[in-house]
Amino acid sequence: MPQILRLSHVRSATLFGSAGQAQLDFTLLPGELALIDARDPTLAAGFADLCCGLEPIDEGTVRFLDRDWSALPHDLADALRGQIGCVMASAGWLRFLDIATNILVAPLYHTNHDLDRLRGEAAALARRFGLPGIPAGPIDSLSQDDLLRAGFVRAFLGDPKLVILESPVQGLFPDLVPILLNQIAVLRDQGGAAIWLTRSRLVWDNRSFPATHRLRLGYRGFVHVHGSHHPAPAGAHA
Amino acid sequence: MTAIDTAAAPRRHSRLQTWLAWLGRKTRIHTRFFLMLMALTAGIVIECGRPSSWRRPVQREFWRVLHFALKGSLVPTCFIALVGGIGMVYQALYWLSVLGEEASIGNILVAVLVRELAPVLVGVILLGRAGAVTLTELGQLHAGRQVRALRMQGLDPLLFLVMPRGVAFALASYTLGIIFVLATLLFGFVAGSLLGIADMSIWSFLDNVLRATARSDFVLFPLKMLAIGLMVAATICMTALAAETHDRLGVLMARGFVRGILAVLLTSVLFSLMV
Repeated sequence: MPQILRLSHVRSATLFGSAGQAQLDFTLLPGELALIDARDPTLAAGFADLCCGLEPIDEGTVRFLDRDWSALPHDLADALRGQIGCVMASAGWLRFLDIATNILVAPLYHTNHDLDRLRGEAAALARRFGLPGIPAGPIDSLSQDDLLRAGFVRAFLGDPKLVILESPVQGLFPDLVPILLNQIAVLRDQGGAAIWLTRSRLVWDNRSFPATHRLRLGYRGFVHVHGSHHPAPAGAHA
Repeated sequence: MTAIDTAAAPRRHSRLQTWLAWLGRKTRIHTRFFLMLMALTAGIVIECGRPSSWRRPVQREFWRVLHFALKGSLVPTCFIALVGGIGMVYQALYWLSVLGEEASIGNILVAVLVRELAPVLVGVILLGRAGAVTLTELGQLHAGRQVRALRMQGLDPLLFLVMPRGVAFALASYTLGIIFVLATLLFGFVAGSLLGIADMSIWSFLDNVLRATARSDFVLFPLKMLAIGLMVAATICMTALAAETHDRLGVLMARGFVRGILAVLLTSVLFSLMV
């Protein structure tokens, strides 16, 4: 099975600033969950971009599913990004499209799957995240809570290999953490992996959080935190 | 050559290089938008010919934009055609009948209405209606970092946002251009008939116009309309997507409108020079 994500000797002046000497080395295997304490939202967003091959790097390689982002042609890289689900801190909803189209747009773009099948999958995911079905109507008609849940549906739709969560509960909705962890457990059981970038003390200080890596991301790179290798939670979603 | 002369030569050379670098830098800065616009337009034309570019969300976006571009611009186009018909066709009919030169009505209307006025007016209507909506949509998108979200999902902004708008605007421009010309001719003739100026049938009038239309007009008019629509879309998309996060929407609107008008006029002039 290929490694999900591998950062080897990565240096990026765009991410860490020209004065920074930070070097990133990180490997994420299938079934793993990395909890990363990234208190600087700009740095967290930059790191998420780096994992998706969107942040320019000066040295090293970023490989996703054993493919080096920098060596891939533009269209192939886009197709590969279709296997990454993201929950973005800035939400990233297209306001001129309704919420259902926003959720379905990536799988419709990257696959030939039937629309009804995708709708069915999205509806099932929506129910798992506590919504009655795929939300309808414009973006503004949804509450912040429901919009957040819709963001999870979008990220987990289409069997992604990697899910990147940028401060997914924003410190405001701690009741969503168990639901999200259950879905991450399903993803891990299916051979996927997840990166959870957090600013929340509530999440970071939770020692029962089932992370296989615990890291701090700062302008000097990663700091590994002790006790990070928890076993994968078999059947945690049950 | 003395030692002083040999030392001065590299200095002169270096001064020339500095001046050339300055000139190049200034030229590049001032032509950057134009060059990017040309590249974007070429990108739209190339990509729209590839079947793989027309994925389902792209098709949906194309139909959505085509719908609002046509729906939003149809009434203003008809209204301006009414005003233009009375103001131009009726006036031409009146003055040519005074001079006894009714037979040259076709030549005048083709030269003024079909070749020059219709493309520019339709371009401005499209810019004002659909262009403004697009600028608002894409301007907000950029400010809200949604472009980043699109890229993270593997959606190419050129394919998903720009190309469907470019093609939809081009087709809308062509459709509105045909409607504008026909409506202007019709309204003008009806006004002339009601006021007793036009003493020919509608069929003779249309036949006169058709006979005055050169073969090249049947190629250049559609091309001109398509190109104007495409350039309006490319200018608007470029303005919105190249905006800085601190650019206010009002500033973007003003910038987009001025650039759009310039694009419409320059495209029209370029095609007129081809005749």
